[in-house]
Amino acid sequence: MGVAEVFTEFGDIYLQSVLSTWLMTAVCFAGGLLLGIVATVMRVSPLKPLRVVGDVYVQLFRNIPTVSLLVIFVYALPYLGATLPYRTCLIACVILIVSAFASENFMSGINAIGVGQIEAARSIGLSFTQIIRHVVIPQSLRTTVLPMTNLLIATLLTTAMGSQVPLKPPELTGMVNYVNSRSVAGISAFVVSAICYAGTSVVLGFLGNLLDKKVRIIR
Amino acid sequence: MSANVVSMRDALYEAPGPKTRRRVKIGTAVSIVALIALLAFVIRQFYINDQLNPRYWSFFARWTTWRFLLTGFLGTLRVAFTAGIIAMALGLLLMLGRISSVKPLSAVCHVITDLFRSLPSLLLIYFFFLVIPKYGLKMPSFWMITVPVALAASGVLAEVFRAGVNAVPKGQTEAAMSLGMTHGKIMAKIVLPQALRIVVPSLISQLVVVVKDTTVAYVVSYPDLMQNARVLISNYDALVSMYFVVALIYIAINYATNRFSIYLAHRSGTKVISRTEENPV
Repeated sequence: MGVAEVFTEFGDIYLQSVLSTWLMTAVCFAGGLLLGIVATVMRVSPLKPLRVVGDVYVQLFRNIPTVSLLVIFVYALPYLGATLPYRTCLIACVILIVSAFASENFMSGINAIGVGQIEAARSIGLSFTQIIRHVVIPQSLRTTVLPMTNLLIATLLTTAMGSQVPLKPPELTGMVNYVNSRSVAGISAFVVSAICYAGTSVVLGFLGNLLDKKVRIIR
Repeated sequence: MSANVVSMRDALYEAPGPKTRRRVKIGTAVSIVALIALLAFVIRQFYINDQLNPRYWSFFARWTTWRFLLTGFLGTLRVAFTAGIIAMALGLLLMLGRISSVKPLSAVCHVITDLFRSLPSLLLIYFFFLVIPKYGLKMPSFWMITVPVALAASGVLAEVFRAGVNAVPKGQTEAAMSLGMTHGKIMAKIVLPQALRIVVPSLISQLVVVVKDTTVAYVVSYPDLMQNARVLISNYDALVSMYFVVALIYIAINYATNRFSIYLAHRSGTKVISRTEENPV
């Protein structure tokens, strides 16, 4: 079966699966950024317990394999009184993992600013909120464009874990399984999925680079 | 690195006055109470669903349980180290090809590097598990998990190596050229020995990604830690405790590996280059 035949027979569901992969990537990345911001605020807050929890949270979800977290969500949580749909489990897992890496990116963006700038800002009379708003946030956002682009691509690749649970429509990696169990597609389904992943990554990488060139701070 | 983190965190705040100190104290107390409440809620969920029942945990006191998990862990290590070594060799070759002056070779290596970096390792695993056998090539399950994991890592490692080569000052290459050394000799004698030393911590931290990728070995039914845990789950009929323990084992291994690579980087004055810091695809 050639690539063209895969398209005529599975074209519709393939389109749905590309869209579902893109949508999940977008949702997981946005959710991961938001949760990452929360974790980062905790980690730089003056309250010691929150700092510790933020640090532990990031280390936990940075180091846990996605499958290990996914099986806990899908198979263990129902025993603990929380049964979630498969897609919700997957999205929640990816968000948790992405947020840990996002927080690491934010932290290194903040650390790159340098203590001297904060001291300088304080000595010209800026208040705490002003320092955060005018010195810390703009600079740390600008230095994290490239790492965040890589994180977005990593998010796209992590959604492949969706192939481990029944999803409807399946995402791109699950499609290889789906097509292969219904016909003798051989290599074609793999090639189509691979092109979709690689094409998306290249576009995202290109856009990220473009944005990075615009806003990068030359130190 | 951690010293830097703390100083930057603390630099954000002025030395607190009496009012602020009081507020920090109240905030600390409130957050501790909130954390205890959260913890209590989790334990309560375990308790009311009967997951704290000793029959779900007592088998962890038996040596046979750990021996079986250890066998699986050795399987994980075998896959991870084999894949790591293949990925290093392949990554080095891809990098050397990419920076070579032969244009077609450089272009091909560039494309292969970016391709491996932009495909999920699971897709590659399915390729070796579902597609390759259809063309009549029978592989043992060990290689069906090891090869795709190695391929996925090789793309990232090629970029890590390239960052290492770029970190060697250009002046050294120029000095070697003025001494009349050939390109190959400069690479082998001057640049690579230094570049490899620079990337050692990054290579070790990349092992974390490899270990994470091996956890789907059950797809090809290779007995790694996760797969053996699944066997124990059906033997003991204890799912929740086993999945949590296995997750903690993975976290501990990966955390230790990360700390070790940061320690090495700190000692040699280099930086850990991870996927997030290199150029996007």
